[in-house]
Amino acid sequence: MRNTYLGEFEELVLTMVGILKDEAYGNSIVIEIKTQLDRKVNLSGVHVTLYRLEDKGLVKSYMGGATNERGGRRKRYFELTSAGIKALQSIQEQRLKLWKLVPQLKFTR
Amino acid sequence: MPQPPKTVSNLLSRLCPNYLWESIAGDLEEQFMADNQELGLGAARRRYAWNALLFIRPGILLRNKLKINNTIMITNYLKTAGRNMAKRKLFTFINAFGLSVAIAFCILIYLFVKDEQSFDKLHSNAKDIYRVEEYAWRTFQTESKDPYMQSAYLQLALAPTLKEELSEVKFATRFNGGWSQVVKYQNKIFIEDIAFTDNDFFKMFSFPVLEGNSELFLLEPKQAVVTKSIAKKYFGDESPLNKILAVDIRGEQDYEIVGVMDDPPTNSSFNFDILIPQENRLYYERNMVNWSSFNSPTFVQLHEGSSEQQLLTSLIDVRDRYMKENMERDKEEYDIPEDAIQFEYRTSNLLDIHLNPDVNWHKVSDPQYSLILGGLAILIIVIASINYISLALTTSASRRLEVGVRKSIGATQKQLIYQFSFESVALAILSMAFGVIIMILFLPTFNDFTGKGIRLDSGVWLELLGFSLAISLLVGHLAGCYPAFYLSAFKPSTVLKGGARKVKPGLAKPLVFVQFMFSSALIVSALVMYEQMNYVTTKDLGFDKEQILVVPTQYGWTDESNAAVAQMRNALQSNPDIIDVGGVSSSFNRGWSRYGYTINEENKAAYVWAVDPNYIPAIGIEIVEGRNFDLTNASDSAALIVNEALVADMGWEDPLQEHLNWREDSIGPGYKVIGVAKDYHFVSLHRNIEPMFLSMNKNDAGHLTTMLIKMRPGDISQTISEIEATYKELLQDKPFEYTFLDEDVDSQYASFEQWMKIMSLSTLFAILISGLGLFGLAGINAVNRTKEIGIRKVFGAPLLNIFVMLNKQFIWMAAIAFVIAAPLGAYLINEWWLSDFEFKIELGWKVFALTFIAGLLVTIITVTYHGFRAAQLNPAETLKYE
Repeated sequence: MRNTYLGEFEELVLTMVGILKDEAYGNSIVIEIKTQLDRKVNLSGVHVTLYRLEDKGLVKSYMGGATNERGGRRKRYFELTSAGIKALQSIQEQRLKLWKLVPQLKFTR
Repeated sequence: MPQPPKTVSNLLSRLCPNYLWESIAGDLEEQFMADNQELGLGAARRRYAWNALLFIRPGILLRNKLKINNTIMITNYLKTAGRNMAKRKLFTFINAFGLSVAIAFCILIYLFVKDEQSFDKLHSNAKDIYRVEEYAWRTFQTESKDPYMQSAYLQLALAPTLKEELSEVKFATRFNGGWSQVVKYQNKIFIEDIAFTDNDFFKMFSFPVLEGNSELFLLEPKQAVVTKSIAKKYFGDESPLNKILAVDIRGEQDYEIVGVMDDPPTNSSFNFDILIPQENRLYYERNMVNWSSFNSPTFVQLHEGSSEQQLLTSLIDVRDRYMKENMERDKEEYDIPEDAIQFEYRTSNLLDIHLNPDVNWHKVSDPQYSLILGGLAILIIVIASINYISLALTTSASRRLEVGVRKSIGATQKQLIYQFSFESVALAILSMAFGVIIMILFLPTFNDFTGKGIRLDSGVWLELLGFSLAISLLVGHLAGCYPAFYLSAFKPSTVLKGGARKVKPGLAKPLVFVQFMFSSALIVSALVMYEQMNYVTTKDLGFDKEQILVVPTQYGWTDESNAAVAQMRNALQSNPDIIDVGGVSSSFNRGWSRYGYTINEENKAAYVWAVDPNYIPAIGIEIVEGRNFDLTNASDSAALIVNEALVADMGWEDPLQEHLNWREDSIGPGYKVIGVAKDYHFVSLHRNIEPMFLSMNKNDAGHLTTMLIKMRPGDISQTISEIEATYKELLQDKPFEYTFLDEDVDSQYASFEQWMKIMSLSTLFAILISGLGLFGLAGINAVNRTKEIGIRKVFGAPLLNIFVMLNKQFIWMAAIAFVIAAPLGAYLINEWWLSDFEFKIELGWKVFALTFIAGLLVTIITVTYHGFRAAQLNPAETLKYE
C-alpha cells in the first residue's frame, strides 16, 4: 500500500473505523468524529469516503442484522482489512519519523 | 412515530445503486430520529431532506452498475443496427425516406408557426403599443351574418386628438400604407409603395434608422424617409440625404429625403418603401375636421404603467365628445336598434394584430392556419411511424434468431427492448439528417405556397437542430416501441429450434388501415379543392378575360387620367392588332366602390363603376335590354347601365322607363336607366352578384384610372411592345405597367390556390408514405403464405390465381377505408374551404370515383411486387423446410 495516497478526511474516517471496531457504520462514525474532535461532518461525505476506502481495499463491509430502529433497515458495518491496518501503522510511523526530525521546538514565554 | 419527508429520498432511492440503498436509508433515518429528539420535528425534516439531497453526488451515482454495462453494449447495438440496415437496403430506404419526409414536413411547419408568432416582435415598445379600432353596427346590410363591423380605419384627427388630450398616451401616429405611386428621380421612374405617417412613428417603432436624425423626421410636410433598397435603387452609392424625389400624389411634387431606414422585415405588419407625412394625403384639411370619415389606421403608445383599460375608458369620452351629433343623426337615419352597440373604439396590442383576422390588415393571418398545418404535420408523422412499425414486423422473421441467441447468452428482455428502441432512434436520427436536407430543398417552394419569406439565418439553426432532434427522438420512440416489445418477447426455445416462420401482423394491419383512411380523406380533399379551382378559373364570368391587357394610366383620380385613356385609344385605333380600348375606374380585383342610398325610405346599396362607352364592348359584356353609352348623346352623362340583379332588387317591370336617384337628388328624378347588362362577376366568386351600375359621369361616379386593351390573338409580346411604345410617346414621365386581365381575375383566388397546393403536397406525402406501409404489410402476408402458395402451385394453380388470392384482402381493405374516410374528408373540406365560395361545385360521384380509383391503383401497384415474387417462387424451395 505504499503507493496509496490517503487524503486527510480519508485518513480520519479510516482511523475512526479502527477506533469503533465492531460498531463502525456511517452514522456512528459521524457521531464519533463529533464527540472526539468536535467537528461536524456530513453523512453523505462519510459514506462516499467509506466506499472509496473499500475500493482501495483498506476496509471491507458486511451487512448487520435486522433492527427495530431505523425502519427495520440493516446497517452496513465496516472493518479494517490487514492492508488498512498496515496503512494506518505506516502513516503513524511516518509521522513519528518526521516529528523527530523537527528541531526541538521551544516555547518562548 | 414522526415520519421523515419522502420526496427527496424517493428520488434518491431511484438514483442510488440498490445494494447501497438500505444502509444509506437506514443511516438517514437514524439521524432523523436523533435530530427529532434534539431539535424538534420541523428542523429534523429539513435536515433529513438536505442530507438526502447531498447523497445525490457522483460518488454515489457512478456506482450504478447497470449503466456501465449498457454503454459497453451500445457499440454492439450500433454495429448490429448498421448491419441490419445494410442487409435490407430497400426497407431501410423506405423507412428512412418516410421518416425524413415526415421530419422535413414538421420542421417546415414549425418554421411557419414560428414566423407567424414572430410578427412585429422587433419593436422594443411593442407591449405598450396599441392599435385603435372601430367596432360598429353595420349601416349597410351585407351578406355577412355578423351585424357588427370591425375596422382599423379611423378618423384622421383621432391620433393628434388622443396625443393632445389623453394623459396616458405617450405617442400617437397614423399609418396609411400600400399606396402605389409614381416616383421620379432624374431619368429613373418607378412605382413605389408609399406610406403616409407621422413623426411619432419613428419614436414608437424600432425599425433601425441608418441615416438622418429620426427626432426630426417628417416634421415638415415635404420630407420623405426612404428604405435602404430605395436609396440604392435611385442613388446607388451616393448618400440619399437632402436629395429630392418627385412623388406623384394628385400631381407631382418634390420631397426632400431626410432619412434612410432598414427595409421592414418580412414578418412585419408594416410595409413601405417611402414614408411621407400624413399632410400630403388627399383632402387632409377637410378630413381633419370631419369625424364621420374613417380613413386612417391609428396607433398609440401608452406611458409605462398605464393600462389598456385606462385607454379604453378615455376613448369612450373621446367618442362622446367628438361624435355625439353624428351618432344621433345616424341612429335615426339607419334605424339602429336601441340595444345595439352603435359605435365604440376598441384596441388591440401590436403583437396581436397579425393573428386577428377579424380586423382586415395588410398580411393579416388566421391562427387557424397554424392549427391546420400542425394537424397535417401530426398526421404525416403518425403515418410514417406506422410504416416503421409494419416494416419492422415484416422483417422480424430474420431477427428472431438474433433474439434467441441473445437471450440464451443471458440478455434480459429489458436489454432487448433497449436495443430495438436504440435501433429505431438511430434510424430516426439518420432520417433527421436527410429530413433537414429535404427541408432546405423544399423551403423555397414552401415559401411560395404559403406566401412567406422564411430564411434560415445562422441564429435559427441551433433552435432548429434542437427541434428536429426532439422530433426525431419522439418519432424514434413512438415508432420503435411496439416492435421493440414485440421482437423482444420471442421465446428462445421456440425460435431456435426453427420451424414455421409465421409472422403475426398484429397491430400492423389496423395501422395500415388507419393510414389508408387518412390518405383517402386527403385525396378527396385535394381533389375537391382541385375541382373547385378548376371551376373558378374556367367558369364563364359573363365577360371576356382573354387577351386583355390592364394598363393603369398612373394619373390617379384626375381629369388627366380620363384624357390619357382617350389619347391612347385614338393612337392605338390605327393598330390592326388592337381591337378596342376601354376605360374604367378600377379594373377587376383592383378594388371597388359601393354606394349606399335611400329610395322610398328603403336603404339600398350598389357597386358603382365609372366607364367609357368602349368598356362594355372591350370586355364583351352583354347588353340584354337598351343600349350602350354614347359620347355624342349629351344626356348620357346622367345615364346608367344597370345589371339584372339591380333590376330584380328594385322590382322594375320595364327598367328602360326607370330612373335611379342614387345621388338622392331632391329636385330631379335622378339618373336615367338606358341599358341593362347581363349579370357578370365583377367581384370574385366568393360573393353573389349584387346590384351594380355603370356610369359615365366623372363627378359622381369617378374618374377612369385604368385602360383595358383588347388585343387580337397572335404575337402578344409584339403587340405589348407596340402598346408600350405608344404609351411612352404619349404619357412621358409615367412608368408603363401592365397585367393580364385573366391573371388578375385568377389571383383573386390566390390564397385558396395556396391551400390547394399545400393540401396536394401533403396528400402526395401521405400517399407515398402509406403506399410504403402497405408495401410492408403485403410483405408480411407473402412471407406468411409462402408454404400455402407452394402447395397450391404443386397442385397446379395458375400464377394469376395466386396473384389475385394475395391481393384480394388489400383491395378489400382499401375499399373499406375509402368508404369510411372519403365522406368524412369531403365533409371537412366542404365546411372549412368550399363554404367560402358563393359559387361552387357540387360534390358529385366523380370526386369519389376518382379517389377510389386512385386508392385502388396505389394499392395494386404496391402489393404487386410481393405478389409476383411470392407467386414465382419455386415450390421446391419453399416446401423443403418442413
